[in-house]
Amino acid sequence: MVRRKRSIGWNILLGAASLVIIGWTLFPVFWMLSTSFKNPTAVYANPPEIIPKEPSAAGYQRIATGTVGYTPISRFFLNSGIVALATVIIAIIAALLASYALSRLKFAFRKGVMIGVLVTQMFPLVVLLTPLYILYFRIHLINTYQGLVLAFTAFTLPFCIWMLKSFADTIPQELDEAAIIDGCTRMGILRQILIPLLVPGIIATGVFSFLDAWNNLLFPMTLTTDISMKTLPPGMIMAFGGEFKHDWGGMMAASVLVALPVVLILVFLQRYLVEGLTAGSIKE
Amino acid sequence: MFLFKRKLYNSYRIDTNNKLAAALLGPSILFVGIISLYPLIYSVYLSLFNYQLTRPDKIRFAPLNNIRKLLQDELFFRSLLNTLIFTVITVAAGLILGMVMALVLEELPKRFSKLRGVLIMPWVIPGIVVGYLFMYIFDTNVGIVNYIFLSLGLIQKRLPWLMRDNLAMASVIIANVWNQAPFYMLMFTAAMKGIPESIREAAYAEGTSRWNEFFQVTLPHIKGVVVITSLLQIIRNFNNFPIIFTMTGGGPAHATTTSVLYIYKVAFDQFDMGYASLIGIFWVIILMILSVIYIRLLNKDY
Repeated sequence: MVRRKRSIGWNILLGAASLVIIGWTLFPVFWMLSTSFKNPTAVYANPPEIIPKEPSAAGYQRIATGTVGYTPISRFFLNSGIVALATVIIAIIAALLASYALSRLKFAFRKGVMIGVLVTQMFPLVVLLTPLYILYFRIHLINTYQGLVLAFTAFTLPFCIWMLKSFADTIPQELDEAAIIDGCTRMGILRQILIPLLVPGIIATGVFSFLDAWNNLLFPMTLTTDISMKTLPPGMIMAFGGEFKHDWGGMMAASVLVALPVVLILVFLQRYLVEGLTAGSIKE
Repeated sequence: MFLFKRKLYNSYRIDTNNKLAAALLGPSILFVGIISLYPLIYSVYLSLFNYQLTRPDKIRFAPLNNIRKLLQDELFFRSLLNTLIFTVITVAAGLILGMVMALVLEELPKRFSKLRGVLIMPWVIPGIVVGYLFMYIFDTNVGIVNYIFLSLGLIQKRLPWLMRDNLAMASVIIANVWNQAPFYMLMFTAAMKGIPESIREAAYAEGTSRWNEFFQVTLPHIKGVVVITSLLQIIRNFNNFPIIFTMTGGGPAHATTTSVLYIYKVAFDQFDMGYASLIGIFWVIILMILSVIYIRLLNKDY
C-alpha cells in the first residue's frame, strides 16, 4: 500500500485539528461532570473552577432525596427503566417476526409494507399527540406503563424492523433451504437458524429501541398526567422547572445520571451500535 | 437507515405465503396502526372541527374555520421560517463538521482508532440532557461561553444568549450540531471505507494534491451517502423537539418556535386541538413528500 508522505506541517495541522475536534466534542461532557460535583456557591466562582476545588456529592444527594410534589425523583428512574426494558423486549420480538417475513417470504403487498416501514419512521410525533391523547383518555391508558410501552414500541418498531431485515438479508438463504430439506418448519428456521445468527443484529436493535424509549420526551409528557408516572425526560423538566431552578450542580448531577446508562451502553456495545447503523455496508 | 447497496443473498424468495406473512407482520401492524396510523387519520378528522378542549360546549363541524385561521396566522408563518432557518443551518454545519471529523480520523495513525468510539458520545446523550447542558453553557451569568468570550475580549459584557432573538437561535443550533455531528461522522467513515485503495494510490501516483483528491476521488465516491444522510437529517430536524424545548421553550418571543414547538403550544397550551391538527396535517404532507424523495434515493444504485 502506497501512502502519502506526511510533511511536518501536515502533521501539525492534523494534530491541531484533532485537538479542536476532541475539545469541542468532549468539553461539554467534561463540564457537565465537573459541575455535577460542585457545591452551589462554587458554580458562581469567577474564574470558573475547571476542576472543583472542593468536590462535593451534594448535587447527587439532592437528586437522590429530592422530590417533585410528593414524588421522589428516583421514581422517574424506576419508571424509565421499567418502560424502556419492556419496550426493548416487545419491540425485538415483534421486529424479529416482521423482519423474518420481509426477508424470507413472498406475499401480497410486500412492497407496500416495506414503504410503510420507511415512511412511518418519518412521522412527526407531535402530530400524533392530540388524537393519541384523546384515544388514550377514552380507553383508560393515560398514566399507565402499558400505554407508554405501547407508544414507545410502535414508535421504535419501524426502525427496528428495517434494521433486523437488513441483518437477515445478509444470512444466506441456502441455510433455510438445507433446513427445509431436513424437515425443519418455517418457524423452526427462524428459531434455530436465523435467531442464533442474528444475535449482533438483535443487540443493535435492542440498543436503538432502548435509546428511543429512554430519550423520548413527548409521549410521557403528554400521555401521563400523574407526576408519579412520569419518566426521566418529563420528570427532569418538572424537577428543574420548579424549586430546583438554577440549581446548576443538581441539574448537572441529574444530567449525568440520565446520560450514564446510555453512555455505558455505548462503551460496552459500541461495536454492535456502529455495525447496526451502517449494517454490513463495508465488509462482504 | 441502510444506505449502502449490499450484496443480497435473497434476491429470490422460497415461497409465497400470505397467511404466515400476515401472522408474522400482525403484531407490528397492530402497534403501528394504533399509535401512528389511527391518530393520523383521526387528526385529519379533527382538523375539520372547531375543537377546543377548554370549551366542550363549542365543539362543532367547521371545515373552513381552521384553514382561514391558518392563512391569517402570522405565528404559523413565523414558525415555518424558523424551522427552515434552524434546519438548513443545523444540517449544513453538522454535515461539514461531521465530514471534517471523518477525514481527520481517517488520517490519524491506527492506534488512535479508539478515538472514534469516544467521539460518538454526544450523539447518544438524551436530547433533554443536551438541552440542559447547553442551557447551562450559554447561561448569562454562570455560562462558560460568556466567560471565555469575555476573557478573550470578544465581548465587552455578558451576553444574554438565550434571551435575544438571533443569539437564541444560534445557541440552539450549536447545541444540535454538537449532538448530531458524530452521526454524520459515522456515516461518512463507513462510506469512505468503501473507496478502493487502488483508486487512492492512483491519485497519489499521479501527484494529485490532497485537496483535489478529496474533491475528485473521495467526495464523488461518497456523494450518495452524503445526499441520503442529509435528507434523513433534514426530516429529523423538522421534527426536532427536546433540545429546543428545554433550552428556550421556543422563546424569546417565538424567536426559536419551530413548527413542532408551535403545534405543541397550540395543542397543549391553548388546547385548540382542531387547529393543532390542521397544522400537523400540513407538516405531514411536507414530510411525506420528503420521505418519498428519500425512498427514491435509497432505491437508486449508489
